Amino acid sequence: MSTIHEGDKSLLEHLDIRQINCLNESEDHPLISILSSKTKNTGGSYLLSDADEQLLLNIPFNQTIKIRSLVIQSSNPAQAPKLVKIFINRPALGFEDVEDADESAAAQIIELTEEDTSNGNPLALRFVRFQTVNSLHIFVSSNQGGEDETRIDAIDVLGVPIETTKNLNELKKQEEN
Amino acid sequence: MPLEATMMIIDNSEYMRNGDYQPTRFEAQADAVNVVFQTKTDSNPENTVGVMTMANKGPEVLVTHSKDLGQILQAIHATSSKIGGQIDIPTAIAIAQLALKHRENKNLRQRIIVFVGSPLEGQAADEKAMVKLAKKLKKNNIAVDVVCFGDGIEETTEDGRSVLKSFVESTSSGDNSHLLLVAPGAHLLSDVLISSPILSADRAGAIPAELGGTGDASGPAAAAAGDQFEFGVDPSLDPELAMALRMSMEEAQAREAAERAASTSNQNTSTPSAQPPAAAPVAADPTDDEEAALLEQAIAMSQDVEMDASRPTADAADDADMDEDEDEEAAIARAIEMSMKGEEEDSTPKK
Repeated sequence: MSTIHEGDKSLLEHLDIRQINCLNESEDHPLISILSSKTKNTGGSYLLSDADEQLLLNIPFNQTIKIRSLVIQSSNPAQAPKLVKIFINRPALGFEDVEDADESAAAQIIELTEEDTSNGNPLALRFVRFQTVNSLHIFVSSNQGGEDETRIDAIDVLGVPIETTKNLNELKKQEEN
Repeated sequence: MPLEATMMIIDNSEYMRNGDYQPTRFEAQADAVNVVFQTKTDSNPENTVGVMTMANKGPEVLVTHSKDLGQILQAIHATSSKIGGQIDIPTAIAIAQLALKHRENKNLRQRIIVFVGSPLEGQAADEKAMVKLAKKLKKNNIAVDVVCFGDGIEETTEDGRSVLKSFVESTSSGDNSHLLLVAPGAHLLSDVLISSPILSADRAGAIPAELGGTGDASGPAAAAAGDQFEFGVDPSLDPELAMALRMSMEEAQAREAAERAASTSNQNTSTPSAQPPAAAPVAADPTDDEEAALLEQAIAMSQDVEMDASRPTADAADDADMDEDEDEEAAIARAIEMSMKGEEEDSTPKK
């Protein structure tokens, strides 16, 4: 399963932090706490669900990217996500849109194993479906132990950015030279 | 100052024709909608507010995500001729939820404010169904405030529970949803609303301290709990009105003091018989006296006012009593002095 290609890198540096939001996140453990560093979270913070076990993560990027694989890590095996549906470029997504979504509506549906989530294995995505991603939406439908709360400690997105001049940070650097 | 998209659901059922709130329930509600809109948009320029109705033929969205007061007023005006039918809270909330979901700026947190002035019927009266709906709202990160008035105020069970109370409690995440009950009375619906927890977060810090604002969230709520302001008006709501009230109060006190002083001096000099203060002006000469005294007071007042204006009114409330005492003494002293002079030489030099 280890499908780390040459040239793939973490795309979290292209996150649009201000637009990140998550439905059903708890007040004390929001999604932003594990993504705000723009790197894979290694600190003590984590994302926890609130009213029930489901979560809907909306992760927009500030430039178009191609995603090859995804890492979802959880330190508590029972609370780790199990059934996950992944969508792309659907900024106005709600739970009612995703609960009944099948393989054709979602970009991909993955059933995670405890091993994947505890080790943080990169999950290979169907690369052809993730060629022009502006925003990534991850719907966590259930967790491994059927618990009331789902916990995610870290998320990483691996792939390649599409070369554009949208990344203003780089633009400034070149002007300085 | 929360960044919020708000959807207000207003009641336009037949019950809103009732006149137990001034001038009618519907007009009182319109006023409250106006207040909520102003507070929300003042709190943060990015905030948006929408309005929808939930009775008549069916729930109807009138304004979506606007920052324009005109649109809100127009919507309310259009609704005022369409009062009828019965409210349908669950459907209205579902529609409001959809409207909020399609907000342009995803940074805005979602909030629904429901005005209920009619009794709950059907699904809305079923606690289980409402709690289920509340859970769904909570899951979608939507906060809900409910304002109950008139027939919307439910009878609580023995342990103090009601359907809307459990509904709001189930929605609340981090104390972001509130239930407000407003019984009919002398106070305005909008006045109660503005000092309630529903708007306190938006009002906190919005009013600078020198205008009588509190600057912290506890202020308005605490003030509302006290419910007894100096003149029955919250000075932080309308500093100018509070100032005007205080000025007229001081003026009246000064006048009384002058009259008292004039009557006592009359007793001392002219007539030994006890004369009531009101009868004092019967004598021919005191008119000039009084005029001079009043002029003197007016000058003193205007100086006072300047002092007052340069000082935060929040403080003024505390030492107002002291000030008044001082004023009173000073006024009496001045009045006595004036009347003494008046006796000696009728034409006092005017400053």
